[in-house]
Amino acid sequence: MDSLKNKTEVSAYRPAHPTTESAAAAGDLADILTHEDWDRARDRWQVARARWSERGSRIFGGSRLLWLLIGPGVLVFLGENDAPSMLSYSADGARFGIGFFIPFIVLTFLMGYIVQEMTVRLGAVTHRGHAELIFDRFGKFWGFFAMGDLVLGNFLTLVTEFIGVRAGLGFFGIRPGIAVGSALVIVLGAITTGRYWTWERITMGLAVFNGLFVPAAILAHPDWHAVGRSLLTWMPLPAGNRYEILVLILATIGATVTPWMLFFQQSAVVDKGMQPRDITAGRFDTSLGALLAATFAIAAVLATVPLFHHGITAGDFQAAQFAEALEPWIGHIGASLFALGIFEAGIVAAITISTSSAYAFGEVLQTGHSLNRPLREAWPFYLTLLGSACAAAALVLVPRFPLEFVVLTVNVIAVLAMPPALAFLLLLVNDQDVMGEYVNGLWANIAGVAVTVLLICAGIGFGVATVFSNWFGR
Amino acid sequence: MKERSKSNSAAPGENPCEPELTAGGERTNLKDPSLALSLLEADQVVAAKRQTRFGRRKLSLGVQILLWGLRVYVVAMLVIVLISVLRTVHVSP
Repeated sequence: MDSLKNKTEVSAYRPAHPTTESAAAAGDLADILTHEDWDRARDRWQVARARWSERGSRIFGGSRLLWLLIGPGVLVFLGENDAPSMLSYSADGARFGIGFFIPFIVLTFLMGYIVQEMTVRLGAVTHRGHAELIFDRFGKFWGFFAMGDLVLGNFLTLVTEFIGVRAGLGFFGIRPGIAVGSALVIVLGAITTGRYWTWERITMGLAVFNGLFVPAAILAHPDWHAVGRSLLTWMPLPAGNRYEILVLILATIGATVTPWMLFFQQSAVVDKGMQPRDITAGRFDTSLGALLAATFAIAAVLATVPLFHHGITAGDFQAAQFAEALEPWIGHIGASLFALGIFEAGIVAAITISTSSAYAFGEVLQTGHSLNRPLREAWPFYLTLLGSACAAAALVLVPRFPLEFVVLTVNVIAVLAMPPALAFLLLLVNDQDVMGEYVNGLWANIAGVAVTVLLICAGIGFGVATVFSNWFGR
Repeated sequence: MKERSKSNSAAPGENPCEPELTAGGERTNLKDPSLALSLLEADQVVAAKRQTRFGRRKLSLGVQILLWGLRVYVVAMLVIVLISVLRTVHVSP
């Protein structure tokens, strides 16, 4: 069914502009509809019914419509609240307490929203994934440049997700092999549904448990007045070793804006079948994801503040030491919630990041790259997805593998690889031939360029601090 | 079937499935390929997507300088990260 039986049938079908033509008159394509098309049409049918039954609703087109259209934005942000990210936020709280990092986290999620909104528009308008568009518009040379950064970053991040899984379940005395194996089974279970919608809902169901950091934070009895004051004043500023502060700032940015998020959300928007008329709902989805993720990230900071007050250092990420160190202050239940939160963060991110890699590979190799496709139709896609997860999981179990090296570098590398990814994004979203009337406006460009410049400055600051380390008291 | 023929003749920009929504059950309608196609935009259909690609854009000198600059930036930064990590590992007991 997937292969084209008669090429002349298709060659007659050439839209003047991909964003404006309706498929209603394309009756000659009826016999070449793929499994993927049928599934997507079913999803669109539900959306059309919701839009019809809730017409006149003032709240983003109605609650049923929103329920159907949310997904990629929530998943990308809760997926990015992954194990190394939650550990970075925890390190912020344990090292510096309530202060600068609380509003800084809000700022990073605002930056995340600005760039992710652009991927929603790109996906809904072009129906192409991010990697596919970069290869189409910039050619193979620049395409492989973008892919190189993605592959390196994704794989290192995947390794850290399994470190998180191992550390989270390690708190409950579960052996590393069993912890990592069970995580792989969950990843496998999520992708064998053969349906994007089912995959999305299962992963969102798992992602809800990112909220476990909220009760853990409440059990830490934070000073809410100090939280409110820090949000308004950004005070107190972090004090101490300037190099360490710079690395934590960079890791906190890298915990929120990373290249895989751009590739994942655009491809997920395409796989979900979103159209230009869904962009408003897509923006709501993205802002909801950013809001939830920011709340849970701040909760992770607050949960570890007792370590700051008692001068306890928790730097060993491999042994669930954060949860163990927190136990005397937030109790066994609080520490268990924290450990489960780290486990959940690793699982959801392992699913979304390996899916991001698989989407990008499928788009570049021009093979089937949709979760709506059955295994037999898109085996390279599923093989990439599962293969990358298995390789990362195996590395975590290798004795004497430098796990600490990976955890230290992954968020920093994410920040350093982000400016080129943002440059491609801004060039694409300003491309009139691609975006038509949905091209970036002035304010979106100002915000996008500001985020890019900020990330470049942060990276250069890190470079200067490393090369001239004596100036920074290292 | 009468309702389906209405959806086939829907003009671009109109919602072709609205008559269906008031008329029949979901199961019957979704077996109709023309309805399935009418629910998707032109290049959402996999076969059409393969045939129509966005062509390569001409990169201005400014864009080329920007991309090369960012390429150099990433390579330089990766070297610096490596230096930083080696120092950290060397210092750690």
